[in-house]
Amino acid sequence: MKAVITPGFSELIIIVNPPGKVTREGLLNINMPWLCAPWPEARGEGVCEAEVEGETLRALLANLAEAYQKAGVDFVPINPRTNDMDEDYDVFINDKNYVTIPDGLNAKLKDGDRVKVKILWRWDG
Amino acid sequence: MLDQDELVRYDRQLRIPYFGEAAQQKLKTSRVVIAGVGGLGCASATYLAAAGVGHITIVDFDVVELSNLNRQVLYWQEDIGATKVMIAQNKLSKLNPTIEITPVCAEITDKNASGIISGAQVVVDGLDKLDARLAINTACVRQKIPYVYGGVSRLRGMMTTIIPGETPCLACFNPEGPRGLGVLGMIPAVIANLQALETVKLLIGQKPSLAGKLLLFNGDDVKFRIYDIEKSEACLVCSQGLSS
Repeated sequence: MKAVITPGFSELIIIVNPPGKVTREGLLNINMPWLCAPWPEARGEGVCEAEVEGETLRALLANLAEAYQKAGVDFVPINPRTNDMDEDYDVFINDKNYVTIPDGLNAKLKDGDRVKVKILWRWDG
Repeated sequence: MLDQDELVRYDRQLRIPYFGEAAQQKLKTSRVVIAGVGGLGCASATYLAAAGVGHITIVDFDVVELSNLNRQVLYWQEDIGATKVMIAQNKLSKLNPTIEITPVCAEITDKNASGIISGAQVVVDGLDKLDARLAINTACVRQKIPYVYGGVSRLRGMMTTIIPGETPCLACFNPEGPRGLGVLGMIPAVIANLQALETVKLLIGQKPSLAGKLLLFNGDDVKFRIYDIEKSEACLVCSQGLSS
């Protein structure tokens, strides 16, 4: 599948097989430039494209982690120890948290699905 | 000038070539506010006091509870029920009687944040709530005071050094995250000591290492990750005239 990625404030927004051109409309800034690391050519426009093998949310996240690893960025949203989301991140499909979706990380993605990977901040002291 | 006792007390850091007496003298006249004296604040306060930061204001409204003692190492069994800032002042003053510790028993809000940090050269984050952090962040941006953010949960921690006008501030992001996940006591100590190190660098005029960078610490695999971060042009706190 094709994944079109728009890095945002503390998150990645990914449109799966988008029906049309994806723009950054409504997303003003890329506050975390390292989110563009695997696709440096897309830094200016702020819209990155990747081909993803597989059709599930898990496959998408694993492909992303691999792309980041090749770019020297340690971005591993699925914790290899638990095989679940790492606690530094959360993920949503069409604004629904993955834990509320049947099949969770193994949910099949459909054309036009909007996946959001949020980087979680730490607030305890 | 440092007196003979101070020369002995700080001997090990005075031996560092790029530190020396000039830097120690700067620390002696420095003013730092530590916002929150919990897991993070206990550790940063201890090491900043030991390092010789001359004027430290500690701010917290809470009392010591049994569940604090796994990580808030300034408080002991006998202190349960007592006001945190008073206990912390007492212990820190015994650790280093040559410095001034000012306790402020208050909950940080939008209304009092500005007054609490007034006169500080650096504000060190030891809070445990987003609202209070954003209040401190806004006050620091307005007064152009560096703010060393730190946060922890479970075996994870993160921090960044916010230099108003230069780096992103906390409000540049859409910072969301869960609270109350628990924490292993060593994790705030790791992050707080990095905060204290950044604070000392700022106070002695060295470039802070984590300005414009976000450090993530993962105690599971003991990895530190450092990412570049940038200001939001749409930030209502640091990019829309509040700082001017």
